[in-house]
Amino acid sequence: MTLFWIFAGITIIGLACYGLQIWAVRATLKKQNGASEYCPPISILKPLKGLDDNLFDNLASFCAQDYPEYEIIFALQDHNDPAYKVARKIKDKYRGRDISIIVERCGSGMNPKVNNLIPAYKVSKYPCILISDSNVMVGSDYLKEIAAHMDDPNVGLVSNIIRGIGGRTIGSIFENLHMNSFIAGSVCFLDKFLKMPCVIGKSMLMRKIDLEAIGGFKAVKDVLAEDFVIGKLIHASGKKIALSNYAINNVNDYYGIRRFLNRHTRWGKLRWRLGGVKYISELIGNPVFMASIPMLLWEASRLTVSFALLVSLVKVLGDLYLGKKAGSDLNPLLYLLAPVKDIIIGIIWFVPLASNTVVWRDNRYIIGKDSALFPCPDTGMWSWRYRVFDAIKARVA
Amino acid sequence: MLLCDFHIHTKYSDGSVELRRTIDIFGQAGFDVIAITDHVVNGDNSIGKFARRFKFSVTAENFDEYISSIKYEAQRAWDKYEMLVIPGIEISKNYISPDKSAHILIIDIKDFIPACMNYERIFLDAKRQDTLIVACHPHNMSDMSRDTLFLWNNRDKYAKYIDAWEIANRDDVFNVISLKKYPYIANSDFHKVRHLYSWKTLLNCEKNVESIKQCIKHNKGVAITLFRN
Repeated sequence: MTLFWIFAGITIIGLACYGLQIWAVRATLKKQNGASEYCPPISILKPLKGLDDNLFDNLASFCAQDYPEYEIIFALQDHNDPAYKVARKIKDKYRGRDISIIVERCGSGMNPKVNNLIPAYKVSKYPCILISDSNVMVGSDYLKEIAAHMDDPNVGLVSNIIRGIGGRTIGSIFENLHMNSFIAGSVCFLDKFLKMPCVIGKSMLMRKIDLEAIGGFKAVKDVLAEDFVIGKLIHASGKKIALSNYAINNVNDYYGIRRFLNRHTRWGKLRWRLGGVKYISELIGNPVFMASIPMLLWEASRLTVSFALLVSLVKVLGDLYLGKKAGSDLNPLLYLLAPVKDIIIGIIWFVPLASNTVVWRDNRYIIGKDSALFPCPDTGMWSWRYRVFDAIKARVA
Repeated sequence: MLLCDFHIHTKYSDGSVELRRTIDIFGQAGFDVIAITDHVVNGDNSIGKFARRFKFSVTAENFDEYISSIKYEAQRAWDKYEMLVIPGIEISKNYISPDKSAHILIIDIKDFIPACMNYERIFLDAKRQDTLIVACHPHNMSDMSRDTLFLWNNRDKYAKYIDAWEIANRDDVFNVISLKKYPYIANSDFHKVRHLYSWKTLLNCEKNVESIKQCIKHNKGVAITLFRN
C-alpha cells in the first residue's frame, strides 16, 4: 500500500506538470506575433531522403507561399532516391518559383541530415535560411508569420509548434497523439517556464551570420540533435530563440508501429544523452504510466485500477483539449488510445539506459554526450550483438 | 523515364484502399503512369461466387460507375500530379487447381468483359477494344496459395494474344519470361499501402496512353526497377 501512495504522489506531480504544459501551449498559441511586415529574402533548405507521407503536397505547400522573395533548395544525396522524382515534379509544376535541386553525396560528418544541408547551404543566395523537414506541410502565410520575428535583431532563431495530422494506421495515430501532447507540451513548457530553447528541426529560421557565428553546419555535423544544439549555441551566443505560435503540420498517415517505436527510442536516447539526470523528469511527467505501475506490477485491486483509469481519463481529456487547441484533425474517439500510447512511451523510456546505439537512415551509430555521434565498429568485442540482431531481423523479414 | 505501375487494386474489388486514396498515394510518390485494375471474377464456380457475394469483383452492373469514377480521378490526378491514370480490369479465372487458374490485365478497357467467357473470346473482345493485354503473375510465386499457371502452361496456344507478361509482381521475379524473350513489364499488384514498395516498370516514351501501349507492345525502352524507400 505504501508503494501505491508513493506512485500516486508521483502521478499527481506528473498531472500538475501536465496541467502546466497545457497552460503553456494555450499561452503560446494565444500569443500575438506583432504587426511587423518584415519580409527578408529567405532560402528554404529542404533535405530530402526517401518518401514521406504526403510528400508531394508537403513540398508543394512551400511553393505556394504568399511571400515576396524566396528560393527553395531540395537537397538529396542520390539521384536514385525516390524523393528525387517528386522534387522534379514539383519543380516542373511550379516553373515560376525559384527552385533548385542539389544532388551531392556529401560525407562531411556523421549526421546524414547535416550532410544533406551542407551542399544546399553553399548554393543558397539569401541572408536568411529556413531549414525545413520534408514531412512538414504549411499554409500560405507561414513564411510571413515566422519572418516577422526576424524584425527584432536580437532574435537569432525562430522555430514552431508542431501539430501531428493524418493518422490512418495505429503507428501514425500514436505518433500524432504524442506530437500534439508530449512534444508540443514540452516545447512550450520549456519555453514559457524555464526559458530554455528547445528547437525542433522541422522548422528553423535563422540568419546566415548567426549560424556562421556558432561555426556553421560544421559545428553540428557529428551530433544527432543538430537542431537542439544549433538552438543552444545561438542562445549561448546571446541571441533569443523565438517560438512562433504558427503551428506547422507534420503529416503522418501511414506510419508503422515499428517506425513509431524506433523514432521514440532514438529520441529518448538523444534526450538521455543531452539531459542526463533531467531525463528522469520525463518518466515523472508520464502520469498514466506512473499510475499504472502499481496495478501492473503489484495488485490489480479496486483502488489501483480505479486510480489508473481516473488518471487515464484526465489524460485523454487533456490530450483532446490540446489536440483541439492545436487544430489537429484526429478523430476525438482516437484520443482514447492516448493512455496505451503513454504506457508504450513509458516502457520505451528505459531503453536508453541500457543502449547507446541508434540506427538512423540505415546507419548505426554510437551516441555519446550531447548526442555526439561515433561510428559503430563492425569488429571488436561488442560488435557481435549487432550482427546477431541484424541476422535475426533479416531472417524475420 | 516514366515510372509506372499497371496492376493496382482498390476497394472496388479486394484492395484495402479506396480509389481516391490510391490515386493520392501514387501521386504523392511521384508516379507518372498507373492503371487501376480491379478484379472481374468468374462466377461459374464457388470461388468466384464467393468473391461476387462479398463484392470483391467489378461486375457488369457497376462497371460503368467504376469506369466513370476512374475517369474522374484520372482528371484530378492529371491536374494535380501530371500522373496518367488508365482504367483497366484484371480478369480473374480462379479455380482450386493453379494449373487451371489465370489472371489477365486488360488495360485501357472501354466495355465490360465477363470473366466467365472462354479465353479466346476474352482475348478477342479485348483486342477489339484496342486494349493492352498482360498475363499477370504467370509463374510460381512465393505466396503459394495464389499461383495462376494456366497461361504459362498453355503459352504456345495463347502467347499470340498477349501483349506483355509480368516478369515481376510485387516481390517475385519470373525468370522464365526473360528466357522465352516475351515482352515484359513489372507491377506491384497493389492491395495495401505497403505494396507501393515493389517491382515497377520504367518506360522511355511519351506520357500518353497510345505511346505507352505501343512502347510495351514493342518492348523497346522498357526497364524494371525495384521501388524502395
